[in-house]
Amino acid sequence: MNEQSAPVGTVASHVGGHIHPPPDSFVKKYIFSLDHKVIAVQYFITGGLFFILAGLLAELMRAQLMGPNNHVLSVETYNEAYSVHGSAMVWLVIIPLLTGGFGNLVMPLQIGARDVAFPWLNMLSFWLFPPAGILLFASFLFGAPQAGWTEYPPISLQMPFGTSLWCLAIFLIGVSATITGLNFLVTIVKMRAPGMTYTRMPLFVWATGTTALLSMIATANLSAALAGLFIERTFGVPFYNVARGGAPVLWQHVFWFYSHPAVYIMILPAFGIVSEIIPTFVRRPIFGYKMIAYSSAAIGLLSFMVWAHHMFTSGLAHWEQLLFMALTMAIAIPTGIKIFSWVATLWGGKIRLDTPLLFVLGFLSTFTFGGITGIMLASVPADIHEHGTYFVVAHLHYVLFGGSVFGIFAGLYYWWPKMTGRLLDERLGKIHFWLMFTAFNATFLPMHWIGLLGMPRRVATYDPVYAGTNEFVSISAFVLGFSFLIFLYNALRSARHGEIAGPNPWGARTLEWMIPSPAPYYNFKDIPIVLSGPYEYGAPLPYANIRQDLATVPVH
Amino acid sequence: MILLGVISAALMYGVAVFPVDRYLPEASTVSLPIDWIFKFCAFFSVPILVYVNGLMLYFVVRYRHRPDEPMDAVGSPIHESRLLETVWTVIPALLLIALAVVSYLVIPLYYPTGQAAASAVTMEAIGHKFYFEFRYPGLTQSVMNEMHLPVGVPVTLDITSAEETTDVATGAVIHGFWIPEFRLKQDMIPGMVVPIHFTPREIGTFRIVCSEFCGLGHSHMWGTVVVQSKPDFDRWYAQQVQAGRSAAAGVAPINLAAGNAAAGQALFAAKCTLCHNAAPFAQRKVGPGLANLFHDPAHPRLVTGKPATPDNVVDILEHGAHGDMGVMPNMQANGLTAKDIANLVAYLKTLH
Ligand code: HEC
Ligand SMILES: [Cu+2]
Ligand SMILES: [Cu+2]
Repeated sequence: MNEQSAPVGTVASHVGGHIHPPPDSFVKKYIFSLDHKVIAVQYFITGGLFFILAGLLAELMRAQLMGPNNHVLSVETYNEAYSVHGSAMVWLVIIPLLTGGFGNLVMPLQIGARDVAFPWLNMLSFWLFPPAGILLFASFLFGAPQAGWTEYPPISLQMPFGTSLWCLAIFLIGVSATITGLNFLVTIVKMRAPGMTYTRMPLFVWATGTTALLSMIATANLSAALAGLFIERTFGVPFYNVARGGAPVLWQHVFWFYSHPAVYIMILPAFGIVSEIIPTFVRRPIFGYKMIAYSSAAIGLLSFMVWAHHMFTSGLAHWEQLLFMALTMAIAIPTGIKIFSWVATLWGGKIRLDTPLLFVLGFLSTFTFGGITGIMLASVPADIHEHGTYFVVAHLHYVLFGGSVFGIFAGLYYWWPKMTGRLLDERLGKIHFWLMFTAFNATFLPMHWIGLLGMPRRVATYDPVYAGTNEFVSISAFVLGFSFLIFLYNALRSARHGEIAGPNPWGARTLEWMIPSPAPYYNFKDIPIVLSGPYEYGAPLPYANIRQDLATVPVH
Repeated sequence: MILLGVISAALMYGVAVFPVDRYLPEASTVSLPIDWIFKFCAFFSVPILVYVNGLMLYFVVRYRHRPDEPMDAVGSPIHESRLLETVWTVIPALLLIALAVVSYLVIPLYYPTGQAAASAVTMEAIGHKFYFEFRYPGLTQSVMNEMHLPVGVPVTLDITSAEETTDVATGAVIHGFWIPEFRLKQDMIPGMVVPIHFTPREIGTFRIVCSEFCGLGHSHMWGTVVVQSKPDFDRWYAQQVQAGRSAAAGVAPINLAAGNAAAGQALFAAKCTLCHNAAPFAQRKVGPGLANLFHDPAHPRLVTGKPATPDNVVDILEHGAHGDMGVMPNMQANGLTAKDIANLVAYLKTLH
């Protein structure tokens, strides 16, 4: 990050106030950094480590499930493995990577700001994250949680001390997410470059803004539910235990009132990444900018009104079932609009099939499938059969893995040069994609089938009639795990052998590509002025106060 | 476009004629409409999936940037199309409304409403760690894990969860009552009774599966439902009434000397392997392994703290136990007679 060329004092008089000199001590620069780009990298590294750990847990689970009566893991350990796997993937991987990682790395650059509104809070948010992760994994020492990432009481009240650590860990992550949400929302509302009206914002900023709002409002409910569980476990105050006047379904309501919006916290930023990558590699304006932007907002609003669709077998009144079914189906409409708009953008383009776009196409294919099974789960009578089975496991991996994780990798290949100054290798990237895409489908597609046939989730053993399918699924899951090693190798290799990227290797037009790679400490020497929308391929660049000699042509 | 249409049509036809019954019997009256809804969803999903994936592939091939084109070539400048956007908003919306209406019509079929419910037999299903208990009208004792139903007779099942203790640490938890072949599922929630309604329509034996995580024994929490012809069911029911009477008349004294190990082995396989292995103490399922129960130097005492003698084992089998590992059901819950207990003890003695 030593690309700073202009003497610091000379820009002090420009729009946006003065620039502090970059910190010179190692600790302030790389550890307790206030710089959004460094914090982003910290999120990527920490989240990446947790991804490896949580992924290994998944491989252990698949080893246990390879045969119907395996003893690779004891039943307790198996239960602990899937509970920590799910919790870690949601709270230590997908949410921190998409919001903390990409949000921090890209959003301030895309709105032409020099940092987020509250850099110190940003640092605090990050530093709540590693302790939360350590607490969660440390719970293995004290009997980790066993009731899945949803930790329904009363059973979660009966588990050893590790479940209390789980409460603390998720509580910390919740505080971190709430602070980040507030921080990002203020940044987007107050710190856009002059001329960047809401309808000129890049779509990733729209997505990040909506996500920030959801995190800010929804996470408090999770905190409340967790506090209740922790207090009941520790001090015996009955919130959820019926025998003493509590209600187990209370937890489900409050938990899902957070966790359904959380589904969108986990997918909207990926939608944003997709909306950036498609126009860049298709070389044409995104189709239906406004519909995509407003549908993010619509999804955000509706996501607060659908939580009980997770509870159709929990004894809801019939009118509640109807209401939540109807609202859940309504949310499919804005989601469909986005998918159709992305596909339509491909129409009449000049498409360059580089790795980021490959991952986006993979995303479109798998996420659409996950959306369709989501509608099947939304219909109350169909859900009665599907709830709590491998069908749900398959569905959620199609949206969270096929959606969020494919989005994360698309974004990594796309913004890697902006983060590190070097490109990832294309050939390795393509191998990674095809292996991951194939193994992903081979792993999760058959799960729909065994789920419908009668295999429940969260079991360490199963009826031998499902043995063949499970064996196939396990082998595919090992291949899927292997595919990430290719990425790891590619990432490490790029540090030395990666091609130097230059400011704008893909010929994109959003603001982060208008400055050197990696972005200099102060981001923009002069705050840019925005004259029109970001996706007008073929037109002159819509910015003033930016080096106009920058090429906007892809390097390959 | 036409090719995609043909593919869609072929797949839609495939969905429409797919013989679900062959893979998972449609054994109750609600199976049919629920499968119908599933097919309805799958039927209309096919063209969406085919067109999204197909057009994507087609566009990528057709509009690929070719090496002979200039580096700065750009694509079409079209930003939006009101018509297209309206079409892809309205069509999915209409399909979803149709799905919602159909679902709305089906919901009342599996909840007891109106007349159908009035004529139905009402029974109770209660979830325990880790077995299902059924209570029939007119029977003094419960039936464990094996529910018998007459074919063609409407049933209302009151579903709930309970445990012997009110203690938090071992108290009642949520289970899930699921019969895949019936397409019926209802969580068994402590403190809540939720009735579901259905009519078995095929004779046969089907699985009951626990579908909510309920603790260590969850993976093994399986029961069966035996759907019988009316006469067969009546015979079974009469036997139960008889067994209830003799139980009420006082438990027969247990004659350990008359125990038959072979009969005990069969009983063990049927009633105990859910929770116990016939293996050393440490090889635990829900409860401990039971081999060498009477001569294990490492475990001279039973979980009840008493010495490992046949009489004390009888005590556990009669009255159950609950400790660190969970709940060992009593003889009623396990559906054992005095003779069964003698046979089981005889069998346990043979395990080394
Ligand atoms: C629902 C699960 C379950 C079923 C079914 C079950 N048990 Fe148990 N059993 C347990 C548990 C749990 C314990 C340990 C209780 C404790 O921790 O105090 C236990 C303990 C025992 C013990 C005491 C072992 C010792 O070393 O002290 C014996 C003997 C026993 N069971 C026999 C049987 C027999 C025979 C059957 C079949 C009729 C049976 N159990 C069915 C769960 C079960
Ligand atoms: Cu949801
Ligand atoms: Cu269970």
